[in-house]
Amino acid sequence: MSSTSAPLSAPLAARAGRARRLASSPTLSFIVRRLLAAIPVLLGVTFLSFVVMNSLPGDAAQELLGAQATPAEIHQLEIKLGLDKPFLTRYWDWLHQAVIGHLGHSLSSGQSVASILGSDLPVTFELVGFAFVISLALAVPLALVSARKPNGVADRLSMMFSMAGLSIAPYVLALVLVYVFAVKLNVLPAIGWVPPGQSVWQNIRYLILPAVSIGLGLLCFYTRLLRADLLEQMQGEDYVVTARAKGVRPWRVLTRHALRNSLFGLITVVALNLGTLLGFTVVIEDIFGIPGIGHELLQAIDNRDIPVIEGIVFVFAVIVVLCNLAADVLYSVLDPRIRYGRPTE
Amino acid sequence: MADLPSDLVVAGVAPAADEAAVAKAGGWWRGRLGVTVPAVMVAFIFGLCFIWPIIGPVPPPTGGNILSSSLPAFSPGHFLGTDAVGNDEWSRLLYGGRASLEIALAVQAIGIVLGGLIGAIAGYLGGWRDATIMRVLDVFIAFPGLVLAVAIAQGLGPSELHTIWALSFFSVPASARISRAATLQLREQTFMTAARLSGTSFPRMLLGHIAPNILPQLLTYALLGIGIIMILEGALSFVGLGVPPPAPSWGNMIAQGQSTISANPRFVFLPSAALFITVVSFNLLGEGLRARWGSQ
Repeated sequence: MSSTSAPLSAPLAARAGRARRLASSPTLSFIVRRLLAAIPVLLGVTFLSFVVMNSLPGDAAQELLGAQATPAEIHQLEIKLGLDKPFLTRYWDWLHQAVIGHLGHSLSSGQSVASILGSDLPVTFELVGFAFVISLALAVPLALVSARKPNGVADRLSMMFSMAGLSIAPYVLALVLVYVFAVKLNVLPAIGWVPPGQSVWQNIRYLILPAVSIGLGLLCFYTRLLRADLLEQMQGEDYVVTARAKGVRPWRVLTRHALRNSLFGLITVVALNLGTLLGFTVVIEDIFGIPGIGHELLQAIDNRDIPVIEGIVFVFAVIVVLCNLAADVLYSVLDPRIRYGRPTE
Repeated sequence: MADLPSDLVVAGVAPAADEAAVAKAGGWWRGRLGVTVPAVMVAFIFGLCFIWPIIGPVPPPTGGNILSSSLPAFSPGHFLGTDAVGNDEWSRLLYGGRASLEIALAVQAIGIVLGGLIGAIAGYLGGWRDATIMRVLDVFIAFPGLVLAVAIAQGLGPSELHTIWALSFFSVPASARISRAATLQLREQTFMTAARLSGTSFPRMLLGHIAPNILPQLLTYALLGIGIIMILEGALSFVGLGVPPPAPSWGNMIAQGQSTISANPRFVFLPSAALFITVVSFNLLGEGLRARWGSQ
């Protein structure tokens, strides 16, 4: 600005300017604000699960020792496990350990919660990831074919298919698939899981049925969503009119121009779904005997194993919060018309 | 705008974004048929589950004779056969549907009333009160419902009423979000300002002006959500909540049939088919109504 500044300081000033711009960037301050707002949510979720688990009859000491144990024995183990301390003290102890990244040890097996999460989360993630890949890979072409000719034969068929798919309970689909592919045709395994380290091929074979059970509902949901958005883009947007006016073929407008825009919306929904989906996998893991996080959670509730439950609930909640945030941020980054922190007019 | 993506998902089936598209493109479905056919189907299912057992020759769903267990379909006196302990399968389907429908309707009613009220209050008041209410709801949305369900099952024991409580934890925050979004849009309307300026009291504002305007939207989402609730009811049967056997619900019939699927697949497939047809009917009705109201 002023001509007196030395030439050397110019890049420095530019860097300082960039830093200031970054600090005052609406997106960044939006992210920071959202992360701060997530803290009470995480506190609430972990506290609530503590309350819920503590209001249950029986505790870990009782579950570990079984029905024959004398009250004295139970009391001794309670002291050893720290269950005799007041409720709020225990929550506080857990919380301040968790803040420094120490999630504690399982009351029943003594294993560290971090290692339990480390061994079970990847299994669930693989299952969910597989389901996502299947559903997205099919949803995009289905939606494109539908949107190419709204109310055409292909569109009606795909809308009927997706309505049916949305109305099937995942566990019903799982049982039907087991009956057809495992019991009758005997081509795919019905229960169990093989780690990918052992055999990638077997791992995929074991995951197909559970992943399809979860993925079909997603596929149908995404197809309907993407079709609706594509139609909206094709009918109202200026860039579509421009592309058409300069002579781009309709199919190309759909696949190159409209799809790009519609995919943004889809990505945000996918990110939002991820959290909800983690809860849904529990029943599927149960049916197919997959040693994922849902299986671990059910077992931990049975054992009143509060550190494990808290760990899982905490990780779930963090994932949900991060996914929500990622969805909102992606939405604004991908679509420049939406900017957080600025007036929307 | 900032709330748009979050609000899309809670509805579960499809977002409001396609209303315009449906109105423009869905002429074949927008017609009367799109509402009448599923409405008749829903009415028929209700009639079968709630009225037919009273007026028709339907044996009791429990306390069957073990000597006539696992009869095949079309056996004399048992049109769909009997289950593993000799109960009439057709009767169990009807009474099971009754339980499933009761649960779904009760949960959605609680969702509309409680969630609708919470969301409308939050949206209307705005500011820190809105933010606080929404954060509390976020806690419930981020809280794994399954932990709550299993905890209720183990602490209070499984029952139809406890299942309704557990599932309301899903429906109340979802309805609240929809109701809040609708109220936010409504708040800027001229008639709202007029009502506010003429000194309308807060409860009157809420019940007289906001409620009638957001109710259609809430009802359509509730209809679309009934399918999801019915599916969740079944899922809870797998983890020990839900309607406790021997009383039937579609969910617990499916969960129980799972163990004998290779020998007796119909114990799984009959309630599954009933659940599927009912959920499709509700989903079609919700879609049809939304397409119609969206086009107005």
